[in-house]
Amino acid sequence: MGFNYPPIEHWLVPKNLFERTIEGVLPATQHRRESGALWLGAREKIAKISAVLFPQGMGVEERRYSWRVSPEVFGAVTRWAAPRSLCLLAVVHTHLPGVPSVLSWTDRAFGVRVPGVLAIVISEGGYETDYRRWGWYVFENSDYTRFSGSEIASRVTVRSLTELEWGTADANGVWT
Amino acid sequence: MNTTGESQVNREQVGGAMIGHEVVEVTVSYLPAPKPFHHVYGESTVIGTIRLDAMQFFGVSDHQDRDKHEFFVEFRGRRLTDMTQTLEGLLGPNREGAHFNLIEQITQGAAAWVSTTRPSSIG
Repeated sequence: MGFNYPPIEHWLVPKNLFERTIEGVLPATQHRRESGALWLGAREKIAKISAVLFPQGMGVEERRYSWRVSPEVFGAVTRWAAPRSLCLLAVVHTHLPGVPSVLSWTDRAFGVRVPGVLAIVISEGGYETDYRRWGWYVFENSDYTRFSGSEIASRVTVRSLTELEWGTADANGVWT
Repeated sequence: MNTTGESQVNREQVGGAMIGHEVVEVTVSYLPAPKPFHHVYGESTVIGTIRLDAMQFFGVSDHQDRDKHEFFVEFRGRRLTDMTQTLEGLLGPNREGAHFNLIEQITQGAAAWVSTTRPSSIG
């Protein structure tokens, strides 16, 4: 028994993923609170992101210096994702304007510690629209490693024709 | 014995007697994993066994660092807390199969969340 997580060399993302993600997190930023999103898709050597969910409401805390998602919300997302053969590829969250887009110790400890899963910090609460200026980290060798600018350029490809599904998630379910 | 109904039947030779007992096809999903865990268990298997097998399959474990990391199984949206409960007891007479979800819970102080948090200004 044992599971091998397929290594991910490259991420393909729909062109509107970043715009949609920013739209989802900005309302919290405007209230001086952190927020976030879950990017899901097919995990393969070339991982294809095809859905973004915004945890909001019951089971989610958006505060000035923290964004917290309860296990019940992850359960609801799992129930929605499993029949669609989607898995979690990235946990994305904001840091408010003026705060560096760097994973804190707690971000690292509380993140999803599975090889290949991305942890992304959106700069300036989403007012920074250039994803290449966000903090991109991948979990490997028991910790998160930050991508350099050239790694983002070489390992993340934006595709204009790829479809994106989006919705919100709380402890009761997923709404798309 | 029921070979055409909802449950499969497994036969086992015990002390010269043929004993039929039902088995259940179990699936466990884990959100970061691209494939679920599949296994066939006897109906007397307890939930704790399934939890541990799934954790081993997905390469995760309960552990404690500055925080407490635990994995639990969820069934039909309900967190299962009794690890001694059997599949038979959980599913009742309709035991065609069972789909569980494996979810991590991280406990920091008194509150339990799976999250990213940033309590300081260092980012």
